[in-house]
Amino acid sequence: MHLLKRMPELQILLVCTIGCYLFLETFVVSNPLDSLFGLTGVDLIFISFFLSFVVAVISVIAGVGGGVIFTPIMLAFTSVDTLIIRSTGLVVAMFSGLVASGPFMRKGLADIKLVFLGALPILLGGFLGSVAAITLFDYFGATGDALVRLALGFILGLIALTFIVSGASTEYPEHSEKSRLATRLKLRHMYWEDTLKKPVRYDVHNVKTAVFLLLCVGFTGGFFGLGGGWAVVPVLNLVMSVPLKVSAATSGVLLAMGNSAAIWPYINAGALIGVVAAPWMLGQIIGGIVGAHALAGIKAAFVRKVLIVMLFLTSLKLCSRGIEGIFNFNIPIL
Amino acid sequence: MIKRKPPVPISGVVYGEIIYWCTCLSALLVVGGTITSFLETESMMPAGYLINTVFEGQSVEEIWAASALKRPPDALTYLALLGHGEALTVAGIAFGVLSVAPAVFFSAAYLWRSKNEFLAVTAMISGAFAIITPFTYFLFR
Repeated sequence: MHLLKRMPELQILLVCTIGCYLFLETFVVSNPLDSLFGLTGVDLIFISFFLSFVVAVISVIAGVGGGVIFTPIMLAFTSVDTLIIRSTGLVVAMFSGLVASGPFMRKGLADIKLVFLGALPILLGGFLGSVAAITLFDYFGATGDALVRLALGFILGLIALTFIVSGASTEYPEHSEKSRLATRLKLRHMYWEDTLKKPVRYDVHNVKTAVFLLLCVGFTGGFFGLGGGWAVVPVLNLVMSVPLKVSAATSGVLLAMGNSAAIWPYINAGALIGVVAAPWMLGQIIGGIVGAHALAGIKAAFVRKVLIVMLFLTSLKLCSRGIEGIFNFNIPIL
Repeated sequence: MIKRKPPVPISGVVYGEIIYWCTCLSALLVVGGTITSFLETESMMPAGYLINTVFEGQSVEEIWAASALKRPPDALTYLALLGHGEALTVAGIAFGVLSVAPAVFFSAAYLWRSKNEFLAVTAMISGAFAIITPFTYFLFR
């Protein structure tokens, strides 16, 4: 309620969106769909909006794109065409990060220099990855694709384990020596940590390694259509020694920017169905604002726990898709 | 020990504010588009038909082939049909996505002024990428 009072734009968005859907539920005659327990199209829009709101709050806090949650749910529980799921998934992955950019930057939680340092490798890697996917598809085959997914799933599981084993040291990483390249690029920053009631200063490390890894993240994202949400926080936090909350906030902003180029082929192919994507986009925007304000007041330890759960879930999804591809069968729900 | 809040980089605030307000505006466009698409009586892209066919599991080609458009729409089709709810909704989403470009350019200008030339240049290249991508489809069609 406090947030609503402080932010009239959030009030306007909530009133308009909920008002719109209540109006549609009350006054628009919509026939029940055969395959979905008698729900009407308007009911589905209303449900999508609330699901999207929840997904946005969780994904903004963890710094992963909402697509990590959205895509498995849609693939598991609906028969919607995968092209439509992927285009709507991009909207889900992007809009919470876009809208959260405002609160994150205002509070100094997201680091704009890291965003611009990481944007180019991710964009370039994504572009090269999609070109390679088109060129090598015939040679690579479905089994090769499945093997790489399985390998990525294992790597992600290992990263999650690293976060568990490293414990609280990942929340505010410390380094004794300074990186010369980071100093030349002025990659040092300080932010106000609300939960500690004091400023936290950090220096960035391993810039070259991190840029190379972000290029790889972009490449695999473009090649396999995975998105980069699964790896940006670990690169920022474990490789560059950026505090966990700054990593999560910066990752959200970075992913939104990186995905902004990827939506256009879907729009031009007619794969972005506006009336289906709209409730997901609106839920992401409202949930993104709420999540961004929540992150500032949440303890870093909680962010770490949310991130570990998200990493394990994504790892599970990747492994299951890998196994499905290799052994040619479907694992229900996963 | 310092207990004061540290200053926030202006380049970041400029980036965040442009995207934030453009995204809020795009949300209002999308709400308007959704209402229009359900209320319009004669449409090339009726909302009820689209929702039904999408959740029935039809492919993109099948959905548009059976519609009044007869083929999948591209960005130019949406622009030509901007009075229709579906086109307005997609335009709202596209407006939010495009907000990245001006945000990057204005932010890069502030980074340049604060003597961060290298990051300002990488930002400009990323911004150019965001602007060019919508048009590549029409160049190579």
